[in-house]
Amino acid sequence: MKHHTKRWRCARLAALCCALAAGAADAKPIAYANGWSLMAEYGAGTMAEGQLFYAPTHWLSLGGGLVELEDEHDRFDRRIAYARANVLLKRWNLPGAQGNLFAWGGAGRATGRDFDGATAVANAGFQADYETRRVYASLRSDLQHSRHFSHRIDTLQLGWAPYAHDYESIASWLVLQLRDYTGGLYSGVEPALLVRLFKGPAWVEAGATSDGHLQAMVMFNF
Amino acid sequence: MKTTRWLCIGLLLMESAMVHARSVEMEVNGLVCAFCAQGIQKAIRKIPATQDVFVDLDHRIVAVQLKDGQDIPDEQLRAAVTDAGYATVRIGRSDETLDALRARIKAEPARD
Repeated sequence: MKHHTKRWRCARLAALCCALAAGAADAKPIAYANGWSLMAEYGAGTMAEGQLFYAPTHWLSLGGGLVELEDEHDRFDRRIAYARANVLLKRWNLPGAQGNLFAWGGAGRATGRDFDGATAVANAGFQADYETRRVYASLRSDLQHSRHFSHRIDTLQLGWAPYAHDYESIASWLVLQLRDYTGGLYSGVEPALLVRLFKGPAWVEAGATSDGHLQAMVMFNF
Repeated sequence: MKTTRWLCIGLLLMESAMVHARSVEMEVNGLVCAFCAQGIQKAIRKIPATQDVFVDLDHRIVAVQLKDGQDIPDEQLRAAVTDAGYATVRIGRSDETLDALRARIKAEPARD
């Protein structure tokens, strides 16, 4: 069953990656006014997510996503499809830095191995981040809640760039990620070390968790 | 003497009316990530009077090459930068081409 689920997840992620490669988000949930963001993430076998958002203004984006969660002991899984609105609550544009505070909320439907049928899900979260061209820090919390389950994924990222990239060069970052899953998905904090590269509208990051599982994300703004 | 002064003023006014800026240079705050700044280039390229756009994170500059004889109002430029999620600090115009402006800015030390 787990094997089948993983194969299904891989196939869906591959489809998303193909869509990206065909030309279809910054770690920020809103790109820019009249811009689209497409994102796919694989989180070390515990989570996988794909999102597509459109921003009618620079402070709002609307869209949806699919997220799959699977507990580390293979006791349950969740497949959640949701629609969501992201709002930029505050942005600090400083001479050599930018800080942001985002919040989002939405609703969707979920299925799972440990309950029958589909259930309604509410989704809410926030992200606070700060970056210069050499350092980056973000804290993100994302809650999926239904009458059958409640899972929150808290992610802290600390990044360092070995050089300050310019507009037309490739940006390189080393990122330490600490992730905490609630609701029985994973015991303890999951650390990961990532390499992040971006140029133009494309963003790729990949690395491994401390127990050797792949952690990866691709994004495209257009 | 008075006639000469008025003649000079008249000539200066005529000259300023005939000479158009070739480029606009904007200092922008928050410009730290090339991935996020794509929106600036995209928004400014949509303005009909835009010939080309140059973004420089080292100096926090967004420069626009204007089409011959055309200009873009400051409000429209500020709106494009704001829509992309950034803040305009200063707008200046010059007779430099975008290539000359790029070369001059690149020769200056980075601001970080």
